[in-house]
Amino acid sequence: MAPRVIVVTSGKGGVGKTTATANIATALAGLGKKVVAIDGDVGLRNLDVIMGLENRIVYTLVDAIDGICRLNQALIRDKRIENLYMIPTAQSKTKDAVTSDQMVKVCDELRSDFDYILIDSPAGIESGFRNAAAGADEALVVTTPEVSAVRDADRIIGLLESMEKSPIRLIVNRIRPHMVRKGDMLGVADVLDILAIDLVGMVPDDETVVTSSNKGEPLTLSGNSIAARAFKNIAARIAGEDVPFMNLDVPSGGGLFGFFKRAFGNGR
Amino acid sequence: MIKLKGMSDSMLRCVVPEELPSSEITASFGSIMEKGGVILPGAKVVLDFGARVLSEKTICSILSEFVWPSGVSVAAWITYDASSQEILKRAGLVTSEPTSEPGAGISSALVLHRSLRSGQRVEHRGDVIIAGHVNDGAEVLASGNITILGRLNGLVHAGYEGDENTTVVSRSMEALQVRIGGKIGSLDRDAEWWGKHVIVSVRDGVVLIEYWPTIKGELVVKEESA
Repeated sequence: MAPRVIVVTSGKGGVGKTTATANIATALAGLGKKVVAIDGDVGLRNLDVIMGLENRIVYTLVDAIDGICRLNQALIRDKRIENLYMIPTAQSKTKDAVTSDQMVKVCDELRSDFDYILIDSPAGIESGFRNAAAGADEALVVTTPEVSAVRDADRIIGLLESMEKSPIRLIVNRIRPHMVRKGDMLGVADVLDILAIDLVGMVPDDETVVTSSNKGEPLTLSGNSIAARAFKNIAARIAGEDVPFMNLDVPSGGGLFGFFKRAFGNGR
Repeated sequence: MIKLKGMSDSMLRCVVPEELPSSEITASFGSIMEKGGVILPGAKVVLDFGARVLSEKTICSILSEFVWPSGVSVAAWITYDASSQEILKRAGLVTSEPTSEPGAGISSALVLHRSLRSGQRVEHRGDVIIAGHVNDGAEVLASGNITILGRLNGLVHAGYEGDENTTVVSRSMEALQVRIGGKIGSLDRDAEWWGKHVIVSVRDGVVLIEYWPTIKGELVVKEESA
């Protein structure tokens, strides 16, 4: 299989890019793929904390780029699961510490060793995002079902299209089925209608995400909560498996369930 | 592959497909120069980049590798990316479609078969028809009328040069604001027009919104033959 370099991005901050990166990387490793997750958010390092690897950092991505160490010295192997690695970034530098060309070079160097290279991008549409996305072939856009997040996701999708990333696929995070049911939250079908890209997964709002982030144990490492299952499904779909979408308990006739029914062609 | 098409007014349109990798743009312009041969020097050309984001570097390389050596005269640089338009405008380059002098009540129309995403912008002297959606954060400015065949979430400004005899038509009106000439009409999400087919116009200095199409007419009663 040709190695795949995927940038995880969103435009808006705080929608769950880093959590998604950590969980999908872990779940892909669980499927037997060799995976590296790169923290592309130079200056605001987070991925290491969420993956629980912060105390293992010796060198960072910026050190490798600056020639202080070799790239494989910046790689941290996750001891809890085989085939999972991460490259942390520098907390003490700014976005300008890494250029697009350097990021492309790093990704190309990793292609020979890994099946999947996931890059956690910073929020925003400026150089930080562009650099993080530069080396990627594909993109995962994370959004929450909020008007502001969807608008930013739309902007990012336009930019990713212009950067020739393909496929660009969507994760709708933090869905609250009861709010969708009451019409207080956008449904997945509404989000897809606006963004018009393929859906790769939807993740319900789940408290276990917060506890797992704080503990530094990605949910997909061992958990079986609904969010854990959602992220595992996303990883399986990225790996090319045909996994049905979860039923997030919304009555038939519209909203999410109506969307599933349409998606699987049995809604008639 | 970049395509060269003929336009009215003896102009050429150079269409740079969005799917063409940026790294191949310069080479592709090079092959246009080889093929275009004698028709290029002195020709008026519209460079159409679709929604591509143009960096300063790309613009410079197109100028130095294509525009100057080929001898063309660029009538307009078309991109729907708002930030790229700003870069082009700051360099004094034209970013709106060239239009022939319109006759009375007639203006040239720009028809776009696509949706506009947030951050994309279309500005045109004449009418604009969008066969797609205008998403939240996208902008359409026309000196003439604007017709959106899809959903309107973004900002539209018809008659932006001051013409208040222009209209905005949308199949699904979901924008909080519509601008016509010097007027701004605002709308609430719970307004009865929200999500409906509407036509927006200015009458007696007031921005009016109405369902569209308005169904009027008399039923034809057939006379029963004896």
